[in-house]
Amino acid sequence: MLSVTPDSMGTVTAPAGVIAAGFSPVADDSRAINGTVGDITAIDPRMTARHVNVYYGDKLAINNVSLDIGKNEVIAMIGPSGCGKSTFLRCLNRMNDTIDICRVEGEIRLDDQDIYDSGLDVVPLRAQVGMVFQKPNPFPKSIYDNVAYGPRIHGLTGSKSELDEIVEQSLLKAGLWDEVKDRLDEVGTGLSGGQQQRLCIARTIAVAPEVILMDEPCSALDPIATARVEELIDELREQYTIAIVTHSMQQAARVSQRTAYFHLGELVEVGKTDDIFTNPRHRLTEDYITGRFG
Amino acid sequence: MNEMTDGHIVSSYNKDLNHLHQLVIQIKDLACRQVREAARSLEDEDVELARAVIVSDREIDALDIKADEEIIRLIAKRQPVARDLREIMTVAKIVGDLERIGDQARRLARLTIRFYDGDVIPPNRHLLDDLNKMADFVNRMVEDSVNAFDDLDLNRAMDVIRRDSIVSDDFRSALRRLSTFIMEDSRSVGHMVDVVLGLRALERIGGHAKNISRYVVFLVKGKDVRHKDLDAVEAEIISTLK
Repeated sequence: MLSVTPDSMGTVTAPAGVIAAGFSPVADDSRAINGTVGDITAIDPRMTARHVNVYYGDKLAINNVSLDIGKNEVIAMIGPSGCGKSTFLRCLNRMNDTIDICRVEGEIRLDDQDIYDSGLDVVPLRAQVGMVFQKPNPFPKSIYDNVAYGPRIHGLTGSKSELDEIVEQSLLKAGLWDEVKDRLDEVGTGLSGGQQQRLCIARTIAVAPEVILMDEPCSALDPIATARVEELIDELREQYTIAIVTHSMQQAARVSQRTAYFHLGELVEVGKTDDIFTNPRHRLTEDYITGRFG
Repeated sequence: MNEMTDGHIVSSYNKDLNHLHQLVIQIKDLACRQVREAARSLEDEDVELARAVIVSDREIDALDIKADEEIIRLIAKRQPVARDLREIMTVAKIVGDLERIGDQARRLARLTIRFYDGDVIPPNRHLLDDLNKMADFVNRMVEDSVNAFDDLDLNRAMDVIRRDSIVSDDFRSALRRLSTFIMEDSRSVGHMVDVVLGLRALERIGGHAKNISRYVVFLVKGKDVRHKDLDAVEAEIISTLK
């Protein structure tokens, strides 16, 4: 069971920050909280995380991370394996609740709601903050039922025609409607990998989320399917807020407006994607994105 | 070890970037030699040397094309970002300026041929005084600007940028001196026009050295200072050095 202790620092001593230790960050006067280089705030934030620590047992996986996720922006989280980017992403809709030894400290808000409030029901939260995973995971049901599942269990519709409308609109937004409209009763798992991932995105948006979290959504897809999903991300940004974890630097550069670089559990740098990929301010960020990391 | 080109996990990337970097040094050496020999051909009235300078310009043109090909290949293969991207863009810009420095050296060499080839009346030697002096000065600027690129030396880059105003002053002073020659002997007007074109070529070489130095600021700082005034460039550099 998850132990959420927003006001306690726990018993584990945080390690010396990697941001300053052992590396020579560029001279910069504009450091934000915890030494993170760049502006952690967004002009119109949809989600705000402040002083977030995440522990797996005694191990500190996320160390004092603060970051805003702005409305209608795509923010990319990058960093080497084990840097905490996926852990942080999973904090944003309390997916870490499913891990017994995981403990989250600090504050994460969706609009004005503290999502770790003890009285909060996580089921509607996960509808508001949806998630798309690395590997497409459609239910072994029909294409129609995959998309209709969320609206049904959340009671979002009163009639079959309303549900039909939601399914169609969701598949349209996910760019899949034209490919599947004549075979909605076929099983979702029979689609190609790229189509399955877009079906999962349709399933996510069917419950009208505010935020969509994507954890390496294209890592199992070929370049064409990846391009389709990236195009979709760009279109979805008009209506949703999107946080994406990716190992592909080029993908982060292509799809996001802001990029956050994580390293050993710390948020080293955050800034406009254009700036991060042309003139990053922290040496660690630069060494990682240029492929110099040992 | 070059901080801008080395340190990648993929060692062939280091090799490609290093090769590109060395190509800049090679083109700079060639361009400076061209300017030096073009000026010497004038000094020594050596038409053969001038012809050799004109022919050798093709070597720079060939290296210019080679650098562009390598840059295109690197971008296609490596998708460079951050300082790798700035290094590659800077190389592309520098090579462009060095190629034009080679063109200016060729123009200077053509003066030698015009003045001393065949049955023509050569110019008064005093008309050429400023050309040699200025050629030395701008050639040092080119050397220093490319060395600043090689060493990521912002101080040296700034020094070259400052020296460009000396070149402009020298150019204007030389024009004034030439105008006194015309007043004394209007028959020298044809030679004078040629000398002005030579001075102009050298003044442009100084300008190219200044451009190269400004690219160095972009390379190191990531800030484009190409069209900024001297004070703004200085402020940008000082903000790094303090």
